[in-house]
Amino acid sequence: MSTPAIASERLTKVYGKRQVVKDFTFRVNPGEVYALVGPNGAGKTTVIRLVSGLAFPTSGTVSIMGKDPHLRPEVRRELGAVVEAPAAFYPYLTGRANLQLHASLAGGVEPGRIAEVLNLMELSDASERKVGVYSLGMRQRLGVAAAILTRPRVLILDEPASGMDPLSLHLVHSVLRKAAEEGTAVLLSTHHLDEVVAYCTRVAILEEGVLIDEVNLFDRRERYRLRPTNIDEAVRLLSASPHVKHASVRGTEVVFIPASAKDLAAVTGVLAQGGVGVLEMNRDVFDLRAYYRERVSAERARRTGVIEPVAYPGEAS
Amino acid sequence: MSVLLRMELAKLWRLTSVRVGLLLVIVFPLLWAYAPGIFDVYGFFLVSAYQVPALGLLSSMQFLLPLLTAITAAELLGVEIANGTLPTILLRPVTRPNWLAAKLVAATLYPFVLLAVFLLAALVAGAQFGFGSFIGGTGLGEAGLLGSGSMSAGAAMAELGRGYLLAAVALVPIAMLAVMFTVVFMNAAGGALATMATLILMQLLIVFPRLEPFLLTTQLNAYAAPTSDLSWVIALIALYGALFAAIAVVLFERKDF
Repeated sequence: MSTPAIASERLTKVYGKRQVVKDFTFRVNPGEVYALVGPNGAGKTTVIRLVSGLAFPTSGTVSIMGKDPHLRPEVRRELGAVVEAPAAFYPYLTGRANLQLHASLAGGVEPGRIAEVLNLMELSDASERKVGVYSLGMRQRLGVAAAILTRPRVLILDEPASGMDPLSLHLVHSVLRKAAEEGTAVLLSTHHLDEVVAYCTRVAILEEGVLIDEVNLFDRRERYRLRPTNIDEAVRLLSASPHVKHASVRGTEVVFIPASAKDLAAVTGVLAQGGVGVLEMNRDVFDLRAYYRERVSAERARRTGVIEPVAYPGEAS
Repeated sequence: MSVLLRMELAKLWRLTSVRVGLLLVIVFPLLWAYAPGIFDVYGFFLVSAYQVPALGLLSSMQFLLPLLTAITAAELLGVEIANGTLPTILLRPVTRPNWLAAKLVAATLYPFVLLAVFLLAALVAGAQFGFGSFIGGTGLGEAGLLGSGSMSAGAAMAELGRGYLLAAVALVPIAMLAVMFTVVFMNAAGGALATMATLILMQLLIVFPRLEPFLLTTQLNAYAAPTSDLSWVIALIALYGALFAAIAVVLFERKDF
């Protein structure tokens, strides 16, 4: 197995008598976007700070590109991170001067790179203004610009979308998605579940410092559902077909994963040949909000014995 | 390290406490130079520009200058905590000891700058009394302000230079102490307050005569120390400074952010 870009093994953090993170084990591979979601106080920020080397684990291990960031600070050359919301900069310096300072601390960047990231984050016009007058969204975008400045192989961002308008949000997510496509491992915490579903590879759901579920969204995005005239026969036919990786029953529908995108067209043919009609077929859009509610609610009920409704982050409870 | 040091020195001038401190040491000597009741209170008249810096130093070394030093040293780190820039910088390939060391160097340099400005401002404030030879003393020599006959301008300046330099040296451990307490409390106000509380507590310890020669507050009078005692005084100051700086670095290295 190749070295993960980010990994932790039984990561635990205790503040006083409170265990904030408990036995958190995960790995993020190059090219993956891994999201941490959970209610406020679930431990997302603590995980981010432990992984980036800002806080020390009480027990367990953490590594970036196979190296412990606490023992080998030079590994931060591979790291771009935003751990404050809004991203923190010297307010008396311009956006460009702040990035120049980051570049100096990182040992320098290639000529033109600062202008490039400012342009990418649509901050070129504001680059000569002092950061003190930047809006919240502009600071966040400058934070992402600073994070990607050195073309890091690992990006860690704590709520990068906090305080952003929809256009800025889209911009940041597209930059992160592009970075992942180029092989960067991205770890982020967020409350924007809809955006998470759109481009994250995996999602960890945290509750009270515990990883209660890890959802592989890549698989979920490839799922389809259909309503056949004969559900048992449809499942039997699809399970036996080389065009289908997996098929199962969900209520009155069959949920399946085609072997590849090309195989999707063959699925209705397989069913027609077996005498099964298809009343409806659609992509099986994964409802992360509903899934999140269900998982967190179930975890709370398990822990406290009380069933209570769980609000989606950002909604009034 | 040089990048960090340049960064810290650039930041130093942007601190509010530095600007206020420099303004204070520029304004403060005017009080002595133009005080109408100086004879009534102290029983002497100022006769030379060289006496104004001495009065300024004598009256500010026990509280004002330690306070200004402590506040600035605490703010050097505290402003990073308040702005949230501390974690941002530590996420770069910079080791924590190196980063804090750059802050400690900047905090060390500050008393020298503060006292240089203070000396210059005091000399300018006292210009009305003239810069020539005079009958009396600078106040920083063994013979005090009354002196023992005529004093040349060169001798007066040498006494002032020595006194101000030693005063700046004596303030360095206070700067280190303030950085140390700021690391502990993670805010500038806590750091400065704890430093001043420690100094006040030390001043009370003079009731233990055997302890007195070793107290940091005793070393604040280093500017008046006889030359024969200087090596001991400087060694003690260096020891205090190194101890506080080392504790600050050790604590900072294990701190969670």
